[in-house]
This record gives sequence, structure tokens and C-alpha cells, in this order.
Amino acid sequence: MTSTATGASGSSVRDRFRAGVEAASSTYLEQPDWAAVVAHVAAGTDVVALAPSLAADEPDLLVALEAAGCGIVIPDQDDPAASVADVAVALVQGELAIAETGSVLVSEHRLGDRVVTMLCRRLVQVVPADRLVDRLEGAADWLAARGGQPGFASLMTGPSRTADIERSLTIGVQGPDEVEVIVLTATTGAPTEGTA
Amino acid sequence: MTMRPFEERYAAALADDDVRTGLTAFQRGWRGSRDAAIEALEQQEGRSFDELRAELAAIKDGVLADWSHYLDEFQEKAVAAGAEVTRVATPGEANAHITSVVQAAGADLVVKGKSMVSEEIGLNAHLEANGIVPVETDLGEWILQLAHETPSHLVMPAIHKRKERIAALLGQVLGREYAPDDIPTMVKAARTELRERFLASGVGLSGANALIAEGGSIMLVENEGNNRMSVALPPIHVVTAGIEKLVPTYADAMKQVRLLGRSATAQPITVYTNFVTGPRPGQQQHIVLLDNGRTAMAEDPDVAAALRCIRCGACANVCPPYGVVGGHAFGHVYTGAIGLVNTAFHHGMEAAAGPQSLCVSCGACAQACPVDIPLPVQILEVRRKVAESEVTMPAGRVTAVALGAFANRRLFGFGMRVVGVASTPLRRNGVTAVPRLLADRGPVRTATGWRTPPAVPARPARDTLKPGKLDEPPRLAAQPLAGRTVSLFLQCLSDRLAPQIPIAAAKLLRAAGARVTVPREQHCCGLPAYDSGEHDTARDMVRQTMAVLADADDVVTPASSCLAMLSHDAPHLLRGAVDEVERAQQLAGRTYDLIGYLTQGPGRLPAGSLDDGDRTPVTVHRFCQASNTLGRQDAVERFLRDVAGAPVVPLPEASECCGFGGSTSVRTPEVAEHVLDRKLGCLDRTEASIVITDNPGCILHLRGGVHASGRQVQVLHLAEYLVGRLDGAAVNAERMTP
Repeated sequence: MTSTATGASGSSVRDRFRAGVEAASSTYLEQPDWAAVVAHVAAGTDVVALAPSLAADEPDLLVALEAAGCGIVIPDQDDPAASVADVAVALVQGELAIAETGSVLVSEHRLGDRVVTMLCRRLVQVVPADRLVDRLEGAADWLAARGGQPGFASLMTGPSRTADIERSLTIGVQGPDEVEVIVLTATTGAPTEGTA
Repeated sequence: MTMRPFEERYAAALADDDVRTGLTAFQRGWRGSRDAAIEALEQQEGRSFDELRAELAAIKDGVLADWSHYLDEFQEKAVAAGAEVTRVATPGEANAHITSVVQAAGADLVVKGKSMVSEEIGLNAHLEANGIVPVETDLGEWILQLAHETPSHLVMPAIHKRKERIAALLGQVLGREYAPDDIPTMVKAARTELRERFLASGVGLSGANALIAEGGSIMLVENEGNNRMSVALPPIHVVTAGIEKLVPTYADAMKQVRLLGRSATAQPITVYTNFVTGPRPGQQQHIVLLDNGRTAMAEDPDVAAALRCIRCGACANVCPPYGVVGGHAFGHVYTGAIGLVNTAFHHGMEAAAGPQSLCVSCGACAQACPVDIPLPVQILEVRRKVAESEVTMPAGRVTAVALGAFANRRLFGFGMRVVGVASTPLRRNGVTAVPRLLADRGPVRTATGWRTPPAVPARPARDTLKPGKLDEPPRLAAQPLAGRTVSLFLQCLSDRLAPQIPIAAAKLLRAAGARVTVPREQHCCGLPAYDSGEHDTARDMVRQTMAVLADADDVVTPASSCLAMLSHDAPHLLRGAVDEVERAQQLAGRTYDLIGYLTQGPGRLPAGSLDDGDRTPVTVHRFCQASNTLGRQDAVERFLRDVAGAPVVPLPEASECCGFGGSTSVRTPEVAEHVLDRKLGCLDRTEASIVITDNPGCILHLRGGVHASGRQVQVLHLAEYLVGRLDGAAVNAERMTP
């Protein structure tokens, strides 16, 4: 994998990631840990949709959100789309953050996970700092190590947009129109294959 | 939806001013952002665009070299991930299979993400005929579906529609008013309208930007999020993809991502780059892999490289004629330069024939292509195939007969002398005064109303340049060509229609010390025949030119187009015979156009040596092929500044074709007219009273346009301009000599 001069040290990779996130019209934030994320999210909304896989991975998160006075919607198995259709804010965890493009790689095999990122208006993507990779090849390594499984992963770079009418940029089409990327600076995510 | 005949599409596009105004604005805006994005990429990667695209091209070529292996690998991995993979040969098979999948599911509503292959096979019409409702969910495609239209661009399907028309359309369909300037509200309307269809549909359809063999994954790039919903929400996901979309690995796919977004919409990456591997739990996935002429393309060395295409649309975005008529005329289902190539294979010769003459052979597409497809050469090869087929191109027979006469040097020379004498009463300052009674009528207006035809002089340049006939020009202080003999290749067009150009070139070369000879038997390099798809005629003319110039040392032509023909196209045309290619390359090695000879060849002139003190500002139109084929940037501008001391005002869109290129100005003059108009508009912005260029075709075209529009601009060949400075420069040189 190629690595550029600026990508050699961790802090400059984070700077590049931040620049990419902001260039894609998302908001960049750093928080020390999940507790700080909870406080941040709860300050802005009463109800939050959670990807089922995140709820399963971080059971403490549910408790903390509820304690902060935030209602939680987790899409149900039978009709996941309907269950989150009216929830404005959603919270997901990214597998990787890619400095080169300011993208967050979100793996969402199940429909329940996908409807959360598809149907909300404001999407909060949380990535532990140690999941930051310099280049797109980092995402390629991650995908190759798993042979494409579990089955659906997206590099997400900014809010949904279109320029189909006279090339005029309009934010927010079918997907979210507001994206917030939070890097967890003090927490270590579960180890993941393919990260450098 | 059946495609209307080319003539109808062409006429409709010309009649719609919105198409032209909208597309010109789009092309200009795109160019600026794309160039900035590519420059940023080059800095990021520490490698040039050419290196990056060569790398991606090699990946795609590597797949074709071992195609069945990668197809098998992809299929095996996709099946292992739970997909059902079906390979089909024809659109009919693809449509039948997809319809059976939809029917088996009992679905009557299908949501679609953007897919050019579905357009290629006419899937929507087939579904509708079977009682299934397809709903396009990409905003542009949805608008076009409401308007009963097809995409006019690979990436920006509705780019030909102005917001006023879209607002009116939505108003009519949705029953409420939309303000044309309030685009966000129109976008919201799409979101509301489409949301329930996503949730209600039984089948979701998508295309694929890449098929990744390593994991059996489909890569789908998009900005809106509609593709993610089409893929995820319905219980069945159907993918249609051309078999050329394969890449070996995820890492290869990332290299495609880097070039695709920047080349398509000037984005470093699209908002969503989705990697889909098999169905989600509770879902079926059917992948339909389509051939439809792709194997035939791969087996045809003339066009195989077109299978590298990643459908970015850049070739349309830089194409001047596309900017005039848009994709409904420029192409078939596939639009832009790539459409002029692959249509013949996906939709047949008849479909490919109409738009052929719209290409001006300027070469801009090849420069912008992120997988380095030699599009101009491929277009000419397809044009040849069309010319050789039963199908007729616009003005095809007339062109073939005219070229037959033109190929005969003596017949052509005699004919032009007769015209020259007969047209004497109409000759006015280098142009032909078309009698007023004729000028405003039908075909004459179409042919000449916008571009006054050049006058046919009584004597061609070759007569004036006979030994001893030309006055001795003043000598320059610098004599870099002392002792050298230069064979002047006049160019057929200048010889007969603008003799003052080769005459000026001869004077200039002699002023720099050369002995100038004009081989008598010379005629034409073959370019007009090559441009018209008449390759046998073109080859004969190339051979004749090679024979005439076989013994010459330095060959100099005032026509850069002849140099492009002799150095780039002649070896390609003669590729069947190794010895001929070798001789063509040897000739190319000692052939120069004027600017090349004076700046990089033996005729290098020192700074200031043609400075006569005149400081009238000039501007430079760069001959498009000089920029795109010969790789020349600002050589003429620098020469004028440094050697002639002339203040040069930059011309906006300097390298864009003026509209003369190819056979466009003969076969589809309306396009040439509008391309010329765009060029003249740029000239106006410079406020320069002199425009200089170094290709006679451009000069005749620009002069005709300047005259017809009543502009007061002098259009000069570089040689003419420099010869005008000879007296003053020689005097200055004498003064400086102690």
C-alpha cells in the first residue's frame, strides 16, 4: 500500500481526514469516548435511531442514552423501514475512516442497519481513532480480508446530494441531508482485520 | 421507447436553444472544476494524470486478456455469497430473464437505480409491455421518465433540460406549482414521490460500476442515496451489468474510484460508494451479465480499448459538437465520443451511422478520458466501417464521389483553376461575395450565411513558388537555416484557397537562410478522405505524399493538420505493412509544422529576432489537434511574445475546436456554425483585433465567420503575421549591428 509523506504520522492523517470530511460538507467532531458522544447527541434530540448491530455491540450505549433522556428506536425485524421512518437522527459506528477522501466505511448487511442510515435526516457516524486509515487502499484491504462479507459496505462521504438539475448542487435527496462524523479519541474499537 | 431517426433527433436538438445554452454553460463549469480536481489528484498522488490513467487502463486491459477467468471468478464468488448469476448474449435474453424474475415474484412495481445497461437493452419498455411498472429513482432519470425522454448524458441524464422546463413538467405531473429557481423544493418533491414506491416495490434494479472478481462484489457509486434504497428495500435485487465492468480486486476498484468521481462530476469520491456482495438476509439477488457485442468489440483491435470505459461522461463534457446538439443527437443510447464507438456494436451500424459526422476530430475526448481510450482514432475506424457498410451517412455518397475527384491531383488542380477564373467577378479580399439573390435562400443560407466562403484565386501557391518567381525577402540577422534545404509541403487547402499562407511560410524560411523547394507532384496528405471514413482513398494519398517527399531532408508545412496526419494517422492507416509504417515514421521524423520547426527544429530563432516594434495586441487560437494530438500547449503564444515581441492576450477556451475539424462543416454545417459562434464569442472577449493561428483550415473557417458576422478582426496565419514583421525586424537588426 502506498503511503504519502503527509500520511506518515497519526495526527496529520487525522488532519487530512478532517479536511476531507469538511470538504464533503459533513461536520467533524472529536469526542473522547462514547459517554461524550451520548451527551452530544442527547443535547440535540429526544429520539435517536440506532443500528441494531451497534446496539448489540455496545449495550452500555443504550443505557447511557436512556439515562441522558434520549428515546431509542431500534428497527424491528418485521418492518424495519416503517419503524424508523419518522426518526430524524440516527447513530452508527463506522468500521474505518479514510483520510484521503474523508469517508467513513459503514458495514450494514442487515436491512435493519441499512434503513437507519438511509431514512434519517441527520446521521451521526462514530469512528474510533485507531480505525483511521490513510488511503482508499485501506478500505480495499478491509474488504479483501473479508471477501466482501458480511455483504454490504458503503464508503459514505458527506450528506446525500444531487446536481441533476442544471448542475446546481442540492444537499439532501434520498439519504440524510446532515452528516456528523465523530472521531473517538480515547476509546479503542474492537480490533479489526485489514487496518494498518 | 423506440429511438427516432437521427435526422429527427438532430433537427429537434438544433431547434431547441435551451440545449445549446444549457450545455455550453455546463461544459464550461465542468471543465473548470474537473481540471482543478485532476490537478489536486496529481499533487496528492505525486503522479501525472497520464500515469494514473495508464495504470487503470492496464488493469482493464488485463481483465480482457484473461476475460473468462475473471468472469468465472466473479461468478463463483457471487454465487458463494448467495447470488444467482446469469450470462446473456442479447438484450432480448436479458429482458426476458429479468421479466421472468419479476413475474415469478408476483411483483408489478420495480424501482430502478441509474443503469445505462438497462437503457441499452430497453428494459423499461419491455417491463411495461409485460404490465410491470418501472420507476426510475435517480432524480435526473425520474424527471426524464416523467417527460417520456431518454438520458442525453451518461452521468447527468437530464443535463439538456433547463430548470424552467423541469418546473413546468413537475407542475403538470404533480399538480402544484414549482418555481424554477427553487431547485431544493423540486428535489424534495422527488423524495416524497419516490419514498412510498421504494417501500412498495417488489424488485429493485441496479447497474454496476464495477464487478469485483476477488469477492464477487458489485461496486455502485452514487450521490443521492437512491441506489442504496433500490438495492436494499425490495425483497429481490436484480443487477444488470456489461461483462466489461470486471476488475480483479478491491484495490483495483479503488483506482477506478479515484478517477471516476473526478472525471464524472469533479468529486474526489461520490457520496456513496457501495460494495454489494450477495443478497441481504431475506433477499434474493440476481445478477445478469450482458454481452451484446462486447465480445465482438474485444476481438476487434480497432475498438477493443473502448471496453475500458468506466462511463464517466468526460468525453461528452469536452466535446464542442456535443455542446451544440446534446446527447439525443450526439450518440444513440450511449452518448458522447464513446457512443460514436460502441453504438455500432451494441445497437448496430444503422444506429451508429447518423451521428458520425458530428465528431470534429479535435481530440479533446482522448485527453480527458480517464482510461486513455484513443477515441478519435476509434471513431474514424467506426466511421470507416459505416462507410463500408450498406448504411448511408449524412451526405455520404456525395462525399465519396467528391473525394474520388479530389484524389486525382491533376483533375482537382484543373478544376480549381477553372473555378478560380470563373469566380473572378465574385472575389473580394480573400472571400467569395455570394450574390444577394442566392445568399438568403435555403441551402445556400445553411452553407454560407454564417461563413462566407473563401475566394478561389486564379493562381495556386505552387505557381507563385516556382523557382525564380518569388521576390527575395529581407534577411534576418539570425540565419539558423543557412545551408539547409527545406521542402515545403503546401497543404492542398492553402495551395488552392489561401496561397498567401504557404507563400508567407516560404518567405519566412528564406529570410532565416533556408533554400526552399516545392516538390511539384505534391497533393494531399489524405486527411479529408480519412476523416470521411474513406480509408482506401486516404491510404493512396498518404502513399503518394510519402513518395513525393521520399528524398526531402527537412519537410515543413504551414498546416499543423498535415503534420498530425503524417505523424499520427499515417502509421495507423498503413499498419498492415511494416515497411510502409517504418517509412511513414521516418518521414514523420523529419516533417515539421512551422511553429515546431521554428521552436524545436533546426529553425530556432533567437528572442527578439522578429520584433519590429509593433505592440498591437494579438490573441492566439490554438489548433485543437496541435494541443490534443501533437501535445503542444502555448508554443505559438510564447514564440510571439519572445521572438516577435507581440503582446499576447489569452484567448478563453483557446484549444477548443473552431468547428472546421473533421467533415462536420460539410456534412452537418449547423453544428460547425454554432461551434464557430462559441469561438467567435471567446474572441470578442479578448478585444484583440488580430487573431493568429497556425492551421489553414481554422483560418478559412474563422475568416468566413468573421466576414459573415461583420466583425472587424484580422485572422492571420502565424507565417503571414511574421512575414509582415520581416521588414521592420530586418531594419532593427541592421540598426543593432555596430
